Amino acid sequence: MSEQIEQALDRKYEAGFYSEIESDTFESGLDESIIRRISEMKKEPQWMLDWRLKAYETWLKMDEPEWAHVHYPKIDFQAISYYSAPKSMADKPQSLDEVDPELLRTYEKLGIPLHEQEMLAGVAMDVVFDSVSVVTTFREKLAEAGVIFCSISEAVHTYPELVKKHLGSVVPRADNYYAALNSAVFTDGSFVYIPKGVRCPMELSTYFRINEMNTGQFERTLIVAEEGSHVSYLEGCTAPQRDENQLHAAVVELVALDDATIKYSTVQNWYPGDEDGKGGIYNFVTKRGICHTNAKISWTQVETGSAVTWKYPSCILKGDNSVGEFYSVALTRGRQQADTGTKMIHLGKNTRSTIISKGISAGKSNNTYRGLVKMGPKADGARNFTECDSLLIGDTCGAHTFPYIESRNPSAIVEHEATTSKVSDEQLFLCQQRGLNPEKAVSMIVNGFCKEVFKELPMEFAVEAGKLLEISLEGSVG
Amino acid sequence: MSQWLNKVISDARGVDDFLAPMRQQSLNKLETDGWPHARSEEWRFTPLSSLKERVSNESSLDTSYNVPQIDGLESIDIVFVDGVLRTDISKLSLPHGLNLCAINNASTDMQDEISRLFGQVKPSRHVFGLVNDALCEQGVYISLDDNCEVDTPLRIINIAAQDCDAHTRALVNLGENSQLKVIEHGFGSQASFTTAFAEYMIGKEAKLEHYRFAFFTGAAKQVGGSHFSLQERANLNSTFVSYGSELSRVDVDIIHAGQHANAKMNAIYLLAEGELFDMHSTIEHAVPNGTTQENARGIIGDKARAVFSGRIHIHRDAQKTLAELNNRNLLLSRRAMINTKPELEIYADDVQCAHGATVAEIEEKALYYLMSRSIPRSKALVMLNFGFVQELVNAISNEPIKQWLLPMLSERFANMEVK
Amino acid sequence: MLNIKNLHARVEDKTIIQGLNLEVNPGEVHAIMGPNGAGKSTLGYVLSGREGYEVEQGEVSLNGNDLFEMEIEERASNGLFLAFQYPVEIPGVSNMEFMKESVNATREHRGEEPLSATEFLKQAKEACKQVQLPLDFLKRGVNEGFSGGEKKRNEIMQMILLKPSLCILDESDSGLDIDALKVVANGVNSQRDSARSFIVITHYQRLLDFIKPDFVHILANGKIVKSGDASLALKVENEGYAFLGKEFEEVSA
Repeated sequence: MSEQIEQALDRKYEAGFYSEIESDTFESGLDESIIRRISEMKKEPQWMLDWRLKAYETWLKMDEPEWAHVHYPKIDFQAISYYSAPKSMADKPQSLDEVDPELLRTYEKLGIPLHEQEMLAGVAMDVVFDSVSVVTTFREKLAEAGVIFCSISEAVHTYPELVKKHLGSVVPRADNYYAALNSAVFTDGSFVYIPKGVRCPMELSTYFRINEMNTGQFERTLIVAEEGSHVSYLEGCTAPQRDENQLHAAVVELVALDDATIKYSTVQNWYPGDEDGKGGIYNFVTKRGICHTNAKISWTQVETGSAVTWKYPSCILKGDNSVGEFYSVALTRGRQQADTGTKMIHLGKNTRSTIISKGISAGKSNNTYRGLVKMGPKADGARNFTECDSLLIGDTCGAHTFPYIESRNPSAIVEHEATTSKVSDEQLFLCQQRGLNPEKAVSMIVNGFCKEVFKELPMEFAVEAGKLLEISLEGSVG
Repeated sequence: MSQWLNKVISDARGVDDFLAPMRQQSLNKLETDGWPHARSEEWRFTPLSSLKERVSNESSLDTSYNVPQIDGLESIDIVFVDGVLRTDISKLSLPHGLNLCAINNASTDMQDEISRLFGQVKPSRHVFGLVNDALCEQGVYISLDDNCEVDTPLRIINIAAQDCDAHTRALVNLGENSQLKVIEHGFGSQASFTTAFAEYMIGKEAKLEHYRFAFFTGAAKQVGGSHFSLQERANLNSTFVSYGSELSRVDVDIIHAGQHANAKMNAIYLLAEGELFDMHSTIEHAVPNGTTQENARGIIGDKARAVFSGRIHIHRDAQKTLAELNNRNLLLSRRAMINTKPELEIYADDVQCAHGATVAEIEEKALYYLMSRSIPRSKALVMLNFGFVQELVNAISNEPIKQWLLPMLSERFANMEVK
Repeated sequence: MLNIKNLHARVEDKTIIQGLNLEVNPGEVHAIMGPNGAGKSTLGYVLSGREGYEVEQGEVSLNGNDLFEMEIEERASNGLFLAFQYPVEIPGVSNMEFMKESVNATREHRGEEPLSATEFLKQAKEACKQVQLPLDFLKRGVNEGFSGGEKKRNEIMQMILLKPSLCILDESDSGLDIDALKVVANGVNSQRDSARSFIVITHYQRLLDFIKPDFVHILANGKIVKSGDASLALKVENEGYAFLGKEFEEVSA
């Protein structure tokens, strides 16, 4: 029966095409001059360049981490190109009409029309192609509400004070090896600023696409929610199918000031590599948010792609009564390795966190939840609840749970539960007896397993995520 | 490298007996691994600084030790004082089928048996296990014949009395369908450092009832472990009770080597003052159809610190395994601290595994209820919190041991500072 | 409708069904009774195609098609419905999505358009009402946290929605009190017509007070040892299975 299930999990990677677009791509290699050139390409002010160079200096002194349970060949950082942009983007198109039609076609093929009238109503989108932001839609409408939504490169020019104040404030340059690298070479990403008391009128979304060969993508996202504001943001990612591994090392920083709410959702579908583990993206990402008094940050992620995933979207619950949430679905198959989870750092009084993690392992993959819940000495009355469920499909995969719990406060309560299960023969039989083919049955049971997480996604994307999982589960049943 | 470890390595070169080849292996590993890195997963939360530059003294022989008795318990006592087997104060009337010999006094036949067991169950996980491999000149080998049931418990007593280093080892071999009760009873409060490791080979359909009491307090540092290998349909029922000291660490390994074996383990730790206690448990399901249930509960008061790591490892072939681990902790004070990490590592799909860990506070409602019935707050706290570990004490089937533990633990608890 | 000829089937090494013959015509209700271990539930599993139930010999045709040539879901789409004795839980999958997929898979098989969301909802609500299940059961996970009786009613609810041509009820009465039993029976009776057939597997005669069978068969040692009309069930009720011969004396109904 498990063979049947595995076949049901067989899938095509639908976003695996390559777009023939003429690009300006740096020769591979990394040194100070490359960083100067990136900064120059973006016509950055001196302070930004200095910031990058300091990060580079730090990075040089750091050791490349070796992680237990994650195995991949050593990365040659000199074999990567750190900048690539479509030639047509060199003279900054002012509107969509000026954008290279091949670029637009790429996004159409991915199911993301960029003309506002064709887009999902109520969703504004920033589109990043390799190292540059192609377009940001609905800017005027957002501007009416005072919301800033633009590429981070643009923000460096237009809102230098905001960027200076918050960049690196949540994830310091020296935080870890890949965060330091990102700080030195980040190329583009999104910047969001929600003014005091504003409820962002639309969903904000960024779509990241890696296209060029041998390039790394190092995006940087910064979201600042002022007091009492509210924003929901979603990112999606895909890349062409290739035999070589590519590195994606992003940094995301969220700042939720008093009474603010940030909802951050990710649908990650980078190319996972083939059955034998050839090719695929190394997804080494640092995501962290800080919550001030009464603020709330909610991370939701659906992870189906990448050869290796290493990411722990985290919350620093600094302010009293602040809330952190983490909802995750990670599906691995083939030879994928996912090591993902969250860190909830409770510093303030009555802070609360909830962690729901659903891992599905199939094929020869390994799926690991790794998390930290920390109750500081001042976190009186803090609460955490964690639930980690694993679903194993077949006996050649692995499912692992490594939760670290630390408490220094006698009035804090931490609860952690983890279970493991499989798609049972009885469940499959019942579905088939009701007329469903095994493929549909497995997809339905797996979706049911993930339901608690899917219901956290913004409505516009819940369907999208369900479909993604469905594509992931689609295939031939012999 | 540490000064202390260098000394250990040079001392170990002088040990030459029938175990020399195995000792040499561990010594080589010690030299390669060196002193644990501060970030090493094994010692991440347990500071070893007090040991690193330790200067160890020579022990002197002294006869005036009181071997603690457990009221109402008739036992066979094997007593080590500062790492030296003391036949003068041991009680050694052995029933039929139970064989015992000192490692440093073994006949050629026995030497063969000992070599077959030494280091076979205990993994070479950390530095102090390797130190024990290299340096434990004193130790006992215990074997129980097939089909033999021994009702009188066997107590292996470890007393740390003087400020010296002491390394002891117990190797226990239970024949097929045999039954044995073993109590590892260690204590000390004077400045000292001891390592005490025990390896158990539980034969087919054999039953072991096991206790380990690690009552080291103050400056009495101990690192030790009890390691079990279960053959087909073997049964293990084990209870650990620990206090904390400057450094107190126990490693437990339960290895399912044969199918349909059943292991149950309960652990209690009760920490006061500035004590540290660290328990690392690993459950290895290497074959199908095994069952393991582990419950660890701790109360951490004052400035004490507890570290718990509980790992369940289900190997590819271990289908139909049932494994559960639960760790519950109560912090009594603002300066107390707990690091707990339950781990699941699973490579088989048709298994039932679960773990849970909680850190909780005293139930305010229950406290209020008791106080409204005119029970003073301090007394009410004792009643409520102690119930939490008492449950595990009550699960002990041996009546004299239960009756001996209860008042001892509740007294220790009553003296802890609450909030 | 259904024609079983000389069926032999086994579970693992043990042959359970040993030469069973049965013909069910459109509109007929057949009750199958028998002592424990006679092979009653096995029959339902073999017919629906459950893995591990192996056919050794014999032929079964359903609406003229060779049953054993079909996958589990094809048999279902061809009109075979098994109401389970112990329905399994599927956490997170709501009854509603489950039934919608199921109904539409059957419709697709028949070359019909999928039901619109509103039409489906209307039918689902109607089915719930018939078995007296509160409407919020549609939103709950399939059998998730349902009581024994609720699970049984949920099976009948699904049967009503799917409109199968052959319904096999595997001890749909076990564990039910008299009121719940009536609800289940009413649900079944509402579906009886000249085209739809039923095989009612039961241990007790009392279900047959409410669902009147056209035929009663006694299954023992893997074959039908006696057939008759409804009065046969009453005989079993009063006398146990002793009349079948000495070996059944201890087993009373």
